[in-house]
Amino acid sequence: MPPILPDFSSTVRLKYVKLGYQTLVNHFFYLLLIPLLLAFTVEILRTGPQELLNLYYASLHRRLDLAVVLSSSFLITSVATVYFMSKPRTVYLVDYACYKPPVTCRVPFSTFMEHSRLILKDNPKSVEFQMRILERSGLGEETCLPPAIHYIPPKPTMESARGEAELVIFSAVDSLFERTGLKPRDIDILIVNCSLFSPTPSLSAMVVNKYKLRSNVKSFNLSGMGCSAGMISIDLARDLLQVHPNSNAVVVSTEIITPNYYQGKERAMLLPNCLFRMGGAAILLSNRRSHRSRAKYRLVHVVRTHKGGDDKAYRCVYEEEDREGKVGINLSKDLMAIAGEALKSNITTIGPLVQAFEHFCIHAGGRAVIDELQKNLQLSAEHVEASRMTLHRFGNTSSSSLWYELSYIEAKGRMRRGDRVWQIAFGSGFKCNSAVWKCNRTIKSPTDCPWADCIDRYPVHIPEVVKL
Amino acid sequence: MVSDSPVYNVKISSVGPGRATVGEVVQHYGGLDLAMKLHYLRGVYFLGKAAAEGMTTTHIKESMFLLCNDYYMTCGRFRRSVGSGRPYMKCNDCGARFLEAQCDLTLEEWLDGYFSGKAEWNVGQLVYHLPVGPELFFSPPVYLQVTKFKCGGMSLGMSWAHILGDIYTATDFINNWGSYLAGHKSNGPFHQQAQPILNRPLLPTSPNGQTPEPLSLKRVDPVGDHWVTANNFKMETFSFRLTATQAAQITARQTHNKSKKPSLFESITAAIWKSIAKIREGINEPKRVTIIRKTNSSQDPMTGNNRIAIGSVSTDFSVAGSDSGDLAEWLSDRIGELVDEKDMIDEAVERDDGASDYVVYGANLTFVDLAGADLYGLESNGQGPEFVCYEVQGVGDEGAVVVVPWPKSSDGEGNEGRVVTAILPEEEVEKLKLELRKIGVLEED
Repeated sequence: MPPILPDFSSTVRLKYVKLGYQTLVNHFFYLLLIPLLLAFTVEILRTGPQELLNLYYASLHRRLDLAVVLSSSFLITSVATVYFMSKPRTVYLVDYACYKPPVTCRVPFSTFMEHSRLILKDNPKSVEFQMRILERSGLGEETCLPPAIHYIPPKPTMESARGEAELVIFSAVDSLFERTGLKPRDIDILIVNCSLFSPTPSLSAMVVNKYKLRSNVKSFNLSGMGCSAGMISIDLARDLLQVHPNSNAVVVSTEIITPNYYQGKERAMLLPNCLFRMGGAAILLSNRRSHRSRAKYRLVHVVRTHKGGDDKAYRCVYEEEDREGKVGINLSKDLMAIAGEALKSNITTIGPLVQAFEHFCIHAGGRAVIDELQKNLQLSAEHVEASRMTLHRFGNTSSSSLWYELSYIEAKGRMRRGDRVWQIAFGSGFKCNSAVWKCNRTIKSPTDCPWADCIDRYPVHIPEVVKL
Repeated sequence: MVSDSPVYNVKISSVGPGRATVGEVVQHYGGLDLAMKLHYLRGVYFLGKAAAEGMTTTHIKESMFLLCNDYYMTCGRFRRSVGSGRPYMKCNDCGARFLEAQCDLTLEEWLDGYFSGKAEWNVGQLVYHLPVGPELFFSPPVYLQVTKFKCGGMSLGMSWAHILGDIYTATDFINNWGSYLAGHKSNGPFHQQAQPILNRPLLPTSPNGQTPEPLSLKRVDPVGDHWVTANNFKMETFSFRLTATQAAQITARQTHNKSKKPSLFESITAAIWKSIAKIREGINEPKRVTIIRKTNSSQDPMTGNNRIAIGSVSTDFSVAGSDSGDLAEWLSDRIGELVDEKDMIDEAVERDDGASDYVVYGANLTFVDLAGADLYGLESNGQGPEFVCYEVQGVGDEGAVVVVPWPKSSDGEGNEGRVVTAILPEEEVEKLKLELRKIGVLEED
């Protein structure tokens, strides 16, 4: 029985104090200006308009020293230049596309269980365990697994893993090009994150090759960073866009299931098989002013919290071999508590702004994660609806799940200009990374998103336990 | 490559509906359907190189997912009702088992081997089949196998649980698949009700309050959840082809009275019945045969055993000793006025709410006439199949003979060839071959 998450409102209050002090120290000089400005304003008001006018005419008649005029203009211009140059560049999310798997990849509960029964024929207890998990998982009957995993037994070869990667990534990127009108030669920065499949050449090289990107494209491939890698990629893109003016960055977030399907019988390691599903997303970020008007969102904040310094947190999602030498991901029983701690660290940085969010996208890691976060952040059912429904329709698609959730909110027609969205991701490490976006323009329900053919059926009621 | 079977590299997966069947959708079965549950239809469709062009696994699977959207009621799994234990189907989209295999022979070579009568050649190589049970939860009622041949041709094999429907529904299933393959068809509106079983009106009970027991039905010992016919003998299958010319000759030989010419099916039935009677001499001589053929009904539901007529004829004379022409004529008369026992079977099974287990094929020596089944209606790349054969699995001890039309062999005078498949106790097969050679039905080797 995992420990109940602690009430951290008191520590939050303390953190507010710390936050206030930090703000004071960081913006000292700006804060100094305030009393100066006040004094100036008071003086102007005291002098009165007539006096001011007299002062003006007097200065006109007196031939002001050229040096004084030049130096004051120079001062004003240089202050303005320094101000505008040191202002961080605004990062816009122009648009994004989520991968929709073909129906032939569909895995109803019954099929999953039947295949499991045939593969694990000597381990009925493990089959029972999977059935219990599936019943309570919050997944629906339309989630998808890649073709190689549909075989009895699964056939995970390197070739089929690359096949899945090509299918997912190329479909998402093609869709992104279509939606944004982006040309491959206009991509300046490319970041691909996929935690568990890292071939040589890398997946980002695969994208460069497929779309014939420029030879000076800045490509990055993030692997091994877990389900929160999507936010890490966004953070990296943002930093790069500070350094490179007038640039486009494409971020591809996915998780390739084929090579990572656990083939053994240890229960803790069978759990990811029940939850992880096929999915991917491609996002276009830009700091070009020309994109300002049509961009969907503006990036406000990225907050990254790493609890890896604590041994328990470090080991709570751990890839290892079981007793028979089969590799799988071991999820520890402390996962929920550790997730709570990581979230605590993360949100106290975002802190006082929590109340101001209209929309939440909580990584659809599992039903328990969403339940706990809903309780701790005291969110309403509508706030977590995007997360729950994404888990139901697409399963846990790892780093791309946040984008399916955002797409849900848009498909429901709930995204209005000025709305603030908080995307929260958890992942191995243990990390909690989040991003805050502000909606740039009211978004009409898209007709070509992955929810297009089923949004009218949602939200669905997800029973506590599904009868199989 | 040396292997026991010429078919290898078998990969197993599943195909099912692309659309989710939402809610508690179930399919109920009538008495007749339940009576058929120990039987399975097995068919193989052989497609030539041109027809098999472009049939990648992806293309085949995509079309099957579309097909299963319509046939979601064949993609579920059986359950038993609480209380009576009566089987029904939970339409949970589990799907049909799908197999991919390769064969190092050409289509011709395989077919020749099959008809050579050697025991190691059997339809089982091209149609993977497991009976339903012992875990109903995890037993698919439909198996589909795609085998690619060296010549570029392919075969599609299907094992279809008879509880789902008769040969006419099974062939419709395959023919509809062809439509999806060609992109001619799209799914209808999304309805989630289970198809209602056609309610046939029950026969009025006879004056003494008890309807007569159907002759075509035999009750067997309870099989529980493992739907396998318990045989006292090991059953073996053998098939032979009759060209149109041969078929015409057989009929001619048995026609004594030109005005009462027996049909080809009746001629074949008479010939084989007499041969089997001679083999099973004495007490075991089959005095009664069951005839299963197409009914005159114009309805064509997607599932259910409604398009076959089941009836039995009994003799009081010795079949082994009778003249085969006379037998054919007698048979022709009797088949003409045959009583369809479907309703009686229905009622007999319903009496204990489907708790008992029965066999129909092989309850008596059974002859199945598949004339009228649109076996060659499957179209792929605008071409029909080169060859189609069907047999029945789970036949009772008395045996069964399935007569399948072979329209590719015709003599231009309205005669069509036939493929005859006999499912009999092992020890009778060689004897039958000898008898059939003697009477000129089977060619000498």
